[in-house]
Amino acid sequence: MSSATEMVCVSPLCNLGWTEVLMFMSPYGWGQYGVAFALGLSIVGAAWGIWTTGSTLVGASIKAPRIKSKNLVSIIFCEATAIYGVILAIILLNKVSAPSGTYTFDPATWDWANMYHAGYATFFSGVSVGMTNIASGVAVGIAGSSCALADAQDGSLFVKILIVEIFASALGIFGIIVGEISTLKLDTTSFNEFIF
Amino acid sequence: MSVATDVMDAGGIGTFNLEHGFPEAVVRGFRSGLLTDYDYHHLTQCETLEDMKMNLQETDYDQFMSNEQHITPASFREKALQKLVQEMDFLRAHAVEPLATFLDYISYEFMIDNVMLLLKGTLSGRSANELIKQCNPLGLFKESTMRSIPTFEASPKGYADLYQTVLIDTPVGPYFSQYLEDSAEHLGDASEMRNILEEVQIEVGGKAGVTGAGAWSGPTMAERKLLRGCAMGHGTGVGSVGASRGLIRSARVHFREDDTRRSPLASHQVIKNSLHKLYLEDFYRVTQAIGGETANFMGHLIMLRADRMAINITVNSIGTPLNEPAMRSTRHKLYPAVGYLYPAGTARLADVTDENNIEYALSAVPEYQKLYASLAGLKDKTLEDVFYEQDVRAFEMAFDGQMHFASFYAYVKLKEQEIRNLVWIAECILQGQKEEINKFVPIFSDSAPWRLAGKVGR
Repeated sequence: MSSATEMVCVSPLCNLGWTEVLMFMSPYGWGQYGVAFALGLSIVGAAWGIWTTGSTLVGASIKAPRIKSKNLVSIIFCEATAIYGVILAIILLNKVSAPSGTYTFDPATWDWANMYHAGYATFFSGVSVGMTNIASGVAVGIAGSSCALADAQDGSLFVKILIVEIFASALGIFGIIVGEISTLKLDTTSFNEFIF
Repeated sequence: MSVATDVMDAGGIGTFNLEHGFPEAVVRGFRSGLLTDYDYHHLTQCETLEDMKMNLQETDYDQFMSNEQHITPASFREKALQKLVQEMDFLRAHAVEPLATFLDYISYEFMIDNVMLLLKGTLSGRSANELIKQCNPLGLFKESTMRSIPTFEASPKGYADLYQTVLIDTPVGPYFSQYLEDSAEHLGDASEMRNILEEVQIEVGGKAGVTGAGAWSGPTMAERKLLRGCAMGHGTGVGSVGASRGLIRSARVHFREDDTRRSPLASHQVIKNSLHKLYLEDFYRVTQAIGGETANFMGHLIMLRADRMAINITVNSIGTPLNEPAMRSTRHKLYPAVGYLYPAGTARLADVTDENNIEYALSAVPEYQKLYASLAGLKDKTLEDVFYEQDVRAFEMAFDGQMHFASFYAYVKLKEQEIRNLVWIAECILQGQKEEINKFVPIFSDSAPWRLAGKVGR
């Protein structure tokens, strides 16, 4: 593409470039994507962890059946990452209020800054919770898998490895704390002003 | 040449368990059934084999001998192997690729041993039924295949026919075809090959030297040597030709020198070693393709095994035609192209003329040099014993990591060692040789030399 053939757009409706997809996406869109990522990624993490722990736990309980109830704790830790996702998804959904109807079609009257803030904050709150919970779920799952194997060999190791799992589980909590704080100051009315 | 043409990745720490978590946990459950120091202590206190059976009922072996009327050391081996086969069948049934291929590879080693056993058995004119009974159940073929192997003659034509009609359908077929190809290249035309490739019997004496041989009276000692040789020989595969330093000098060689057409090239041991060499190289390739921790752990274990094979071939060849200058290139060909000794160490081993320069040859790897040198200070230990200890130690370490396949291989090998231990203890009880009874290699023992020393090397 040479500069000679480049056309300069003079119309007020012409596209600036692909970044407009981000700039003019509805805050509702951003918000709902945030919810989807928070829930979806958290559950991917939890499922991954449960599968990792579960397959080992089932195998190890063949020769050491006593471990099977105790090690359900590892499964519950993995499940907790899914619950973090559900919690944040519900919080985020509550912040995205339904349009009230008292909007105007004039973009000049819109509160652009707050709308950007509302959309981006909700979206990235969801993404950060989702990502941290994938990491947390996999970490808990791998530690839980080792925990089941160790417990099957020597029962005194269970509590020690459980502490490792608790730290892995805490990773997901960091995500949910930051995710919640980042949407704390969100002006929920900015969703209402917006119509596209 | 490879049995498995395409091997999948087993996955890393995050994905391994999705498919192999269950079998891995099961094999670790089996591993916790290995006899402990406590069990061995009780077994060594037994007065009769019946006592031993009762004591084993307290362990993971449970009722495995309950239907046995007449208990002999061999029946311990047979029943324990049966139990191991059941466990392996269970694992194999739950395995998906690439673990399925990996578990098959473990059994190929025993298949090669079984084929060679059947071929060798026919030379001594034993019946097929008797031979099939002796085969290691970990590497059995179909009944019809097993029956047809001894019908072939032990000649190059026989081997070629055997490959083309029977073994081509078995998993170990490719190793035979590779061997036949290699030896044909080496010898030129087929008629010449037929003349030269005839059986010579190199029997490197005493498959595994009996420790503290002086304590035994004449006939029992020979008998025990034979029994221990059987117990160990079948299990060890590549190590079965092992001999002690002391036994090297007395290695019995039946080499019909008057018949110049006969060459040791096709001797039973050479074929067996060639097949095991091809197997190890192929197995190494497969484990590296599986990747991840499997490649690390299995790479180490196979390299140790390959080195052990190279050292054993060299040590056992001293005093045999294989050590003659003209035959040294043949010997060199038997060294596996994997291992810590390869290539610098094996090149030096190829030039070994007598046992005095083995130590120099091993200096390529200081660990082996130290191991070999330490033998001089150990009066009642043979090279084989030292290798068994080294193996147990390496196999125990395979259980230190997770998310890899080496634990499956290590489990089979440790179980084999345990069966050897059981046979040894049973033999000692039967012969009333209580002072020898503790000369076995305990597994995951708190009193193992490397745990007591608390540092690497002794």
